[in-house]
Amino acid sequence: MRRVVFLALALVLAAGSVARAQPAAPAVTVYAAADLDMAFREIKPLFEKATGARVTLVMGSTGNLAKQIEHGAPADVFFAANESFVDDLQTAGAVIPQTRALYAQGRIVLATPTKSTVAVRELADLLKPEVRRVAIANPAHAPYGRAAQEALESVGVWERLKPKLVYGENIRHTLQFVETGAVEAGIVALSVAGVPDVRYAPIDPKLHKPLSQVAAVVKRSARPELGVAFIQFLNGPEGRPIMKRYGFLLPGEF
Amino acid sequence: MDFFPLWLSLKVSVVATILTLATGLPIAWVLARKRFTGRDVAEALVVLPLVLPPTVLGYYLLVLIGRQGVIGRVLDAAGMELAFTWRAAVLAAWVGSSALFIKAAQAGFEAVDRRLEQAARTLGRSGWSVFWSITLPLASRAVMAGTVLAFCRALGDFGITLMVAGSIPGLTQTTPLAIYDLVQSNRMAEANALSLIAVATVALLLMGLGRLARLRF
Repeated sequence: MRRVVFLALALVLAAGSVARAQPAAPAVTVYAAADLDMAFREIKPLFEKATGARVTLVMGSTGNLAKQIEHGAPADVFFAANESFVDDLQTAGAVIPQTRALYAQGRIVLATPTKSTVAVRELADLLKPEVRRVAIANPAHAPYGRAAQEALESVGVWERLKPKLVYGENIRHTLQFVETGAVEAGIVALSVAGVPDVRYAPIDPKLHKPLSQVAAVVKRSARPELGVAFIQFLNGPEGRPIMKRYGFLLPGEF
Repeated sequence: MDFFPLWLSLKVSVVATILTLATGLPIAWVLARKRFTGRDVAEALVVLPLVLPPTVLGYYLLVLIGRQGVIGRVLDAAGMELAFTWRAAVLAAWVGSSALFIKAAQAGFEAVDRRLEQAARTLGRSGWSVFWSITLPLASRAVMAGTVLAFCRALGDFGITLMVAGSIPGLTQTTPLAIYDLVQSNRMAEANALSLIAVATVALLLMGLGRLARLRF
């Protein structure tokens, strides 16, 4: 027993010393919705090069991240997939209202696995009996899931489609259902749909309420100017083309 | 390849397991030996963390230790920050794994022949000494099993850690969170590599521990 405890202690010390050898705490911590994953991984090195600041990206579901920020997470700036979450944080006094900025509008697409032989080109095709399962993000808390539900309601297939639906935790999780071929089709964000095993068809944005994506700097950020700089960078000449390439509609374009 | 999550996970799990041993042993012993009012409630409380979904449990913990939380405000006043640090990951691992240790150790203590303990007492040993020289060695297999279960559960914790420590790369992103992040970003090769290394490391560690334990007992 004693020997085991000794070994355990030695391990902690070893782990501790190695962990300390890691670089110091990063300069700007960006909390961002899952649909931004691919775009932000491209923007991160560009911003670091332009400003010399180190960026730590924390990606997750908007609702989850918002909750953590409300409870004091060390975020400097928050990019939500939907403005309602920023509204809530503003009411809670967790973000700086003056820094609030619209940075994109999201779009949804109808995605199918490339391996699938079932032809799914429009939302009504989802009713075909060959389509056994359809994945969407959970409409209860995921903005893209809510948009998917609205679009399905607009074309009048929501009620009939309900028994086939599988809910993903966030939009990347939903995409995974499609990627792996676990479902015959899914509704995901255009911004994440560009992966090898998936093909997709656009869904008319008029079928759902606009997915206005809003960012704001977190009130307890030690360096709010860096958060502001990141928002400006994203909305500037270097960020916009990247965001556009991932299928976002940009401020001034809608 | 970034090995930070692996080191962090090892550090967090080892500290959490020591914490689990320190708190779990007395609780397991009390539950096995003492009869008191509220014992049923205590026993239910012990296993509660296994019943609640981890993310929900994590959210409740966050409400407690976060900025506005009852505990969080006390810590804040003392200049300490718990939420979203590696210590929060230790808390998460400890909460998630204690029940496994306590139930195993309790069963081990209950199986110890009480006449042996009584014999030691009649020979003049103190209660404390009886515990360390009779009860614990006789229950050691169960205690070791519980420790291994708790350690592995601590290593694998996802939901509670995600909520209370966040998934901040280089600060609080443990191996399970890092693997999940990689899978979500479609970086499957890196995810698979990290999974393999994590599993291999833990397998080696447990084999080593098992050997040590057999030598001693």
